[in-house]
This record gives sequence, structure tokens and C-alpha cells, in this order.
Amino acid sequence: MKTLRMLLMGMLFHLKHSSRSPFEIGSFVVVPIVQATLAVYLFRAAAEPQKLLQAAVGAGMMGVWSSVLFGAGGAIQMQRWQGTLEMLMLAPRRPVMVFLPITLANGAMGSYALLATLAWGRVLYGIELDFAHPFAFPVAALVTVLSLGAFGILLASLFILVRHANAFMNALEYPIWLLSGMLLPIASLPAWTGPIAAALPTTWGARALREATAGGAVWPSLGLCAVISAVCLGLGALALVHVERKARAAATLALA
Amino acid sequence: MDYAIEAEGLRRTYRSRTGWLRPRTTEVHAVRGVDLTVGRGELFGLLGPNGAGKTTTIKMLNTLLIPSAGTARICGFDVVKQTREVRRRIGYVFGGDRGLYERLTALDNLRYFAELYGVPARDQKRRIAELLELVKLTGRENERVEGYSRGMRQRLHIARGLLHEPEVIFLDEPSIGVDPVAARDLRATVANLAATGTTVLLTTHYMAEADELCDRIAVISEGEIQALGTPAELRHRADGRRVLEIEAYGVPTDALEDLQKLPGVREAAVEERGQVQVVTVQSDADADVQADVLRRLNGVRIGRVTSREPTLEDAYVAIIAAASRVAA
Amino acid sequence: MRLLGLGSVIAYRALFNWTTPIVFVGSLLIGPLFQLIFFAYVGRELAVGDDRFYIVGNAVLSVAWTCVFGGTMAIGNERRFGTLGHVLLSPRSRTLIFLGRATPYAANGLLVAAVILTVGALLLGLHIPASAIPLLALCLAVSAVACAFFGLTLGALGLRFRDIWVISNVTTALMVLLTGVNVPFDQLPWFLRAIGAALPVTHAAAAARDAAGGAGLTGIAPNLLTEAGIGVAYAVLAAVLLRIFEAESRRRASLDTL
Repeated sequence: MKTLRMLLMGMLFHLKHSSRSPFEIGSFVVVPIVQATLAVYLFRAAAEPQKLLQAAVGAGMMGVWSSVLFGAGGAIQMQRWQGTLEMLMLAPRRPVMVFLPITLANGAMGSYALLATLAWGRVLYGIELDFAHPFAFPVAALVTVLSLGAFGILLASLFILVRHANAFMNALEYPIWLLSGMLLPIASLPAWTGPIAAALPTTWGARALREATAGGAVWPSLGLCAVISAVCLGLGALALVHVERKARAAATLALA
Repeated sequence: MDYAIEAEGLRRTYRSRTGWLRPRTTEVHAVRGVDLTVGRGELFGLLGPNGAGKTTTIKMLNTLLIPSAGTARICGFDVVKQTREVRRRIGYVFGGDRGLYERLTALDNLRYFAELYGVPARDQKRRIAELLELVKLTGRENERVEGYSRGMRQRLHIARGLLHEPEVIFLDEPSIGVDPVAARDLRATVANLAATGTTVLLTTHYMAEADELCDRIAVISEGEIQALGTPAELRHRADGRRVLEIEAYGVPTDALEDLQKLPGVREAAVEERGQVQVVTVQSDADADVQADVLRRLNGVRIGRVTSREPTLEDAYVAIIAAASRVAA
Repeated sequence: MRLLGLGSVIAYRALFNWTTPIVFVGSLLIGPLFQLIFFAYVGRELAVGDDRFYIVGNAVLSVAWTCVFGGTMAIGNERRFGTLGHVLLSPRSRTLIFLGRATPYAANGLLVAAVILTVGALLLGLHIPASAIPLLALCLAVSAVACAFFGLTLGALGLRFRDIWVISNVTTALMVLLTGVNVPFDQLPWFLRAIGAALPVTHAAAAARDAAGGAGLTGIAPNLLTEAGIGVAYAVLAAVLLRIFEAESRRRASLDTL
């Protein structure tokens, strides 16, 4: 109960903090809409209007990933500059408890991308929001967003240790979009990418959302997404303990 | 005896790599063997010039850095292995603008850290109100930190550091860049903390601050403790000396060395004070060196010349100067 | 402590200067390369355009990455490190100083694009006739210069607006949509086309595609000249904005606010 309270308070705190940054608001508000527009025009050009809803959902999912990725990396880099990373580390808690609220907040911000792309598609492009499983969709969306937030912990542990987090961030955006089949079916990719895709929670989250949109068994995919994320959360928690020690040894917590 | 802080042989070396074609590792020995013990409720000062190793020492004691060698315990808990136990008992406040969530209000910041530092939910409101009162931020708590002055931020830092009622608090140059009035308030707050039983480890390079506040002072320089004692004991180090202060304009660089060598002279230093340079010469009290010194400074434009009793500052200057001579 | 402090300042700079090889490769090469691959697969799957369309187009677009971030950083960094005031106090022409900064970004952009095009073509099996290479290089070069000035224009906005990174972030996203590199130009509504036509890359990408398809210099000249014209227009715009905002900054004392 106490832990839950701390996670929730922390998450709200970080959401509030992000919402006060013109940079984050600018990027998180505008960029997903640009991506949704791109997806809509691409699918229109392909003369596959029946897939427009899928395209919008896919673009939304891309936004969720960007948010989790840039959140995990950017938030930690930001804390380093602000000098708050050391203050967080001084909390008498397991490191995962300190950082999970941050990555969950990023996931929650990503859910905006999902809503925005759908609203944008509906209002501007008249996309009918006829989901195959109208009730499963919001559940799938919520679980996916939370799962990816938890997955962010693994990313965060990497970013705390590495000073050049920005470089990795930029390099990880498109590959995950592609590998997880957010916009395109995975079948169109070379076969060797299959196992990688299967191990990524993003793949199963995207698939669950697609199935909720276009039809199919939502729950198995969603379950896998949640399970893989939980495993990643566990690994991330372990990694953070190690990373914290390493950062204390290498003096990378502070920059000034 | 039950100590709040114990450190034995603390060392810290920073390695940094430069260049990527031909990586070169440079090592900086920031702290080279620090031993100290601080009793419960004591106000202990760590005094030294910039780069002496003060912050590094503090960061090893408060678990943010792992020592390269040596051990340290806070309230009996090891700073390397028992971090959570240590962190429950310590507060950390550093000087400067950073370390706060600028875009949020003071209240937001305090609430978040209260939650994070494990202040029980039912106590949070009362505790935060008390602390805002203590640091005189009541009424301003709903403003964003980015609009705060330097002094206000510093006070907020202190409130944050005290949220979980730590047994030991580390204050790393809290008065840096704070105006004189605010600095006086700050000293009153620190003195109060110690009076109520909190152990305080304070670093500073302001002599007066250390003299006024600290029960004991360790003078640190070149990564090592050069002297340790009560302010009175340290002042005794300059006993039997006399200080000659000479205002001058354009003292040649080699003059100091010559002054140093004069019979009876113990230390000679020069300090720029705006237009004018002030040459300080410490000598044995029974030796009258004024004539010799002025002869050596022949040809230099001389202003006021005064002879006085040594202060704590003179003791400090002597300790630091001796240490840097050894290092050189 | 001072040594340590200095060391961290250097590390801090390195974060932004993108000169560390890993940062350079990670953000400037890997990112755009994956973008290229992503859209090439989108194109294959949706049959919107062929490989040549996407590979050549995205390679030209990768120029914009370096230049947009470079231009905004040229000014953003000065402000962050508190040196902007000193640069503006320098007796030399500010316009020249900042225009001078565009050159390395253009060169860098050209290098990046050349690598991306080569690697992309090899990975995805696109055959580019050897005879087309000089013209392709010309397209990339013109585009690099145009993008560098465009980046500088955005950078100039940094003198006026605090959160310049929003501008560069949103701009790069918009360029993916509007330059006709990924969505065929004729599929966009007229107002988006109008914006796209005023951006660098749009015309150079079209010219580069034609060149890769075997068109001669006369065939691609109109597009190439338009791109060059756009570049000149941004150079003038950047110079004017720098002058205006510099005067304004001095008046409003907003130089060193972070």
C-alpha cells in the first residue's frame, strides 16, 4: 500500500514536471500528430483505406514507444543536469522504486499519443472508430502502456550508466517501430528478425492493439506483453542495483 | 564512544579518459587518506580551499561515491554496503542552484522528496509546514522554484535535507553565493540544528563561518587533513607569532620567496584586493622583521603598514601554505 | 576539485558536441539509417513507392538531421555554456561568425548522407549506376548547403525563444512528412505541399531520384536550381533574423537565460 502510494505520487509528480516543459509538451503533443498524419497519407496513397484505423492505432503505438524511450533516456539525462539524480539516489529505497514512477509517467504520457492519433484521425480524416473488440481495446491500451512503462526500467538502467544516452535514444526509435510491427506486419521483414521481435514487449502490445482493432484473440498477445514486461522489470531492477553501484564507483551520477 | 561519523583511510581517485584515437587515462587523487571521527550532536567543520577534496570526502560519507580505499561508517553502518541504513539517517544539502525540480513549486518538491525519503504519510503535512516555517519560506511555497532567489533555493535545499529528520546532516558549502544577511540566517539555522542534537558536517571556505559555528574543525588541503582541533586550538598554532600587513602595488613575483627566507619570517603570502595587493608576513613574535621586509620591497609602492596579533585565518593560511609547500 | 570540475565541463560539452565517435555514429548515422530502412519497408509493403524512391529520398533527408540539429545547437550551446554573450560582444561581424558555423554542418551533412546512401543501397540491394554518382553527389551537396542555412535560421530563432530544442525536434518530424520523401508529394493536400515546397530537401530529393534513375544534368537542373534558391533565401533570412534578434536580445536581456 505504501509502495503503491509512493509509485502513484511519484508518477503524478513527474507527469506534472513534464507538463511544465515546453520542450516535452511540444515534442509529445506535436510529434505524434505528425506521425499519425504521415501514417494516414501513406495508407491512403497505398489505396488501403480499410486499414486507416489500423494505421492510426499503429502510429499511436509508435508514439507510446517514443515517449517511453525518450522519457527513459531524456528524463535521466535531465535529472543529471538538474543535479536531482544524486538526490534521487540518496532515497533510502530500492533504486527500482525510485525510477519506476518516472518510466511509468512516460508510458502514461505515451497514452496521449494513442488518444491523439485516434482523435486526429476521426476529426480530420473521418476514420470510423469501429473496433472489432471495443471493450478489449481500452484494456489492451492501458495494459500496454503500463507494460512499456515497466519495460522502460531496463532502458533507464542503461541510460544511468552511459553518459551518451542521447545517441542510443536516437538510434533505438525506428528499429523498434519496424521490428515490433507497429505500422507494418512483421511478415514483411526478413525472417531473422522474427525471434528478436518475439522477445520484445512492444511487439505483443502492438499486436494486441491491432487484434482489438481489426479482430483476433487479444488476450494471449496482451498477456505475453505483460509477462515479458514483468520479466524486464525484474531484470531492470537487478540491473539498477548493479548500475547504481557502478555509477557510485565511476562518479557518473553528477556532472558538475 | 558512540560516533556519528567514522572514517579510516578514505581515498578517492578519479580516472578520466581523454581522446579516442589514443585513449589516455588521467588520474586525479582527490582524497588521499582521510581519518576522522565525529561524535553525535557535534558540529564538525571541514575547511579548505577549492579543490582540497571537501566535496569528494562528503560524497564518500553520504554513499554517493564509493571510496577507492578505506572505510567509513555513519551511525555504525558501512557507507559502501549498508547504503539503505545509512541513507535513512542522513540528509545532504549542497550549495548552488541545482538539485531541485525548478519547474515545480517548493511544496511539490518537498512532498515528492518526503514520499521518496520515507516520511510517513500522516506526518508529511505537519513536517513540511514546520520546515517551511524553519527556513522562512512559509507563504512562498506555492511558487515555482525557477523564480526563487539563490538564498531561497538554499533554504529549500535545507528543508529538503531535513524532511526525514536525519541524525546526520551534510552541508556542502551551503553559504556559497548567498548574501550576507541570508548567510547569517543560515548560520543561525545550522547552529540550531546542532543544538537540537543533529550531527552536522559542514564544509566551507569561509573562516568566520567555521570559527563561529564549529565545535571542531579539520583543515583539509591536497586531499589530506592538515590540522584538526577546536577553533581555539587551531588559533594556538599561530601563537608566538606576529602578523605584518603591508599594502603594496606591483610586488614582483620572486619577492615572496625572498621574504620567506628572511630570518624570523614563518610565512609570507600576497593577496589581491582590487587595485591593491596585501602582503601578509607572519613572523616569530620576538623578531622584528618590518625593517628587513620593507628593505626587500624597496622600489615597490607601499601603502599602509600594520602589525597585529594573529587570527584563526592566519593559522589557516599557515597550515595551507605549509601543505602546499610540501606537495610542491 | 577544480580539475574534476573542469573534467565534467568537458564531459558535459562532449554530450552536446557530438564529436565523440559513439555519439556521432549513434545519432547521426544509425538513426537516419534505420529511418531509411523503416520507410523502405513501408514502401515495399504498401507499394507506395519503389526502393529507389525511399532510399534516395531518405538519404537526402538525412542531411537535414545534421544540419537542423547542428544549426540549433550552434546557438543553443553558446547559450547553455554562457558564452553567447561573449560571442555577441566580439567586434567581428556576428553574421559572419554564425554563417561560418554553417559550413562544418553542411560538410558533415554531406558526409552523413553519402554514407547513408551507400550503406542503405548496399543493405537493401539498390543498384545505382556509376554514371549517376557525380550528379547524386551534386544533389547532396546542394541540399547540404541549403539545409545548413535552414538550420541556421532555426538557430537564429534560438536567440528569441528559450526552448529551441522543441523547434528542431518538431521540424525534423515535419520534414519527414512534408518533403515528399516518404509520402509522394502529389498525395498531400495543397497547403501541406505549399509548406513542403518551401523546405530544403524537397527539390533536392526529387532531383536525386531522377539522377539515380539515369536523368542527365539538364533533367535535374530545374529542381536543383530551386533547391539552391531556397538555400540562398534561408541564408538571407538567417542573417536578417540574427540581426533583429541580437538587437532585441540586448534590449530584453534574454541572452543568458537558459
